[in-house]
Amino acid sequence: MKEHTFLNIINPVKDKMYRLALRLLTSKEAAEDATQEVILKLWSRKEKIKDYANVEAFAMTVTKNYCLDQLKLKQNNQLRIVHQNYESHNISLQKEVELNDEMTWLGKIVEKLPEQQRMIFQLRDVEQYDYEEIAEIMEMNQTAIRVALSRARKSIRENLIKKHNYGIR
Amino acid sequence: MELDKIERLLAKYDEGETTLAEESLLRDYFLREDVPAHLTAYKLIFAFSAEQRNQSFRNEPQIKESRKNNRFAWTSIAAILIVALGILFFNDSSQRLNENDLGTISDEELALQKTKETLNMVSQIMNEGTADLVYLKEFNNTTNKIIQID
Repeated sequence: MKEHTFLNIINPVKDKMYRLALRLLTSKEAAEDATQEVILKLWSRKEKIKDYANVEAFAMTVTKNYCLDQLKLKQNNQLRIVHQNYESHNISLQKEVELNDEMTWLGKIVEKLPEQQRMIFQLRDVEQYDYEEIAEIMEMNQTAIRVALSRARKSIRENLIKKHNYGIR
Repeated sequence: MELDKIERLLAKYDEGETTLAEESLLRDYFLREDVPAHLTAYKLIFAFSAEQRNQSFRNEPQIKESRKNNRFAWTSIAAILIVALGILFFNDSSQRLNENDLGTISDEELALQKTKETLNMVSQIMNEGTADLVYLKEFNNTTNKIIQID
């Protein structure tokens, strides 16, 4: 496989890989490194890539596994990923400062979810994959994914309402 | 869109039962219109997931590194080859030296003399060695004395 063809395959997926890595690792630098590493890994395995029916799902699975490995390493080292990237710039949808603050809260709430729910929330609500693809990426069955997604959505909303009321009172 | 349809969809959404099409209906609704107060949480969640989608991987993916690695691997193989060949070559030549040059003398007279010389030398060294053993006799003398006491 030529470099050009490989990049054509990777380019549409790389943002999604980056966002999944960011969701798991929280730090932008760590997520960028992870994405780069995964792309290199895929490149070194470029001959086998043709055999996969869904390259995008495969790339996402590799990203997921790589990030989980990174997290394990970090836990072993008793390190916490340091990050200061909550500024969430360029919101084109809403320009209100208040909403910007809410986004920060939401980011924190999502960050507190268990890893699995966080990943499924990311894949479904942010990247809008269908259940079949999520099942392939997560290496889980669809029912389990629906359950985890439902839990993630409910707990995000509950936490948000809690925060919201807390702010008003 | 009517509110109860939205609420029905939201109930499904919470259970993870909505299809992608239904979710995009909800997304459009919450991103465009003002929503009743009890649904603000949903509005925020949809705004959040839409906003998260805007982040992108800034760097250009670099895949040159793997090639650099290949080049290094190549040089290391070459280095190993050179070292291995060098060792083989030196071993070979030293063996050939031993086989060819054993110091054989063809003249009989000379051979006899040389043999005598070497045998002499060996016996001399032997004598020198045994000379040191004279002290051992002293040991025998002293033990004899002890036996006599008994």
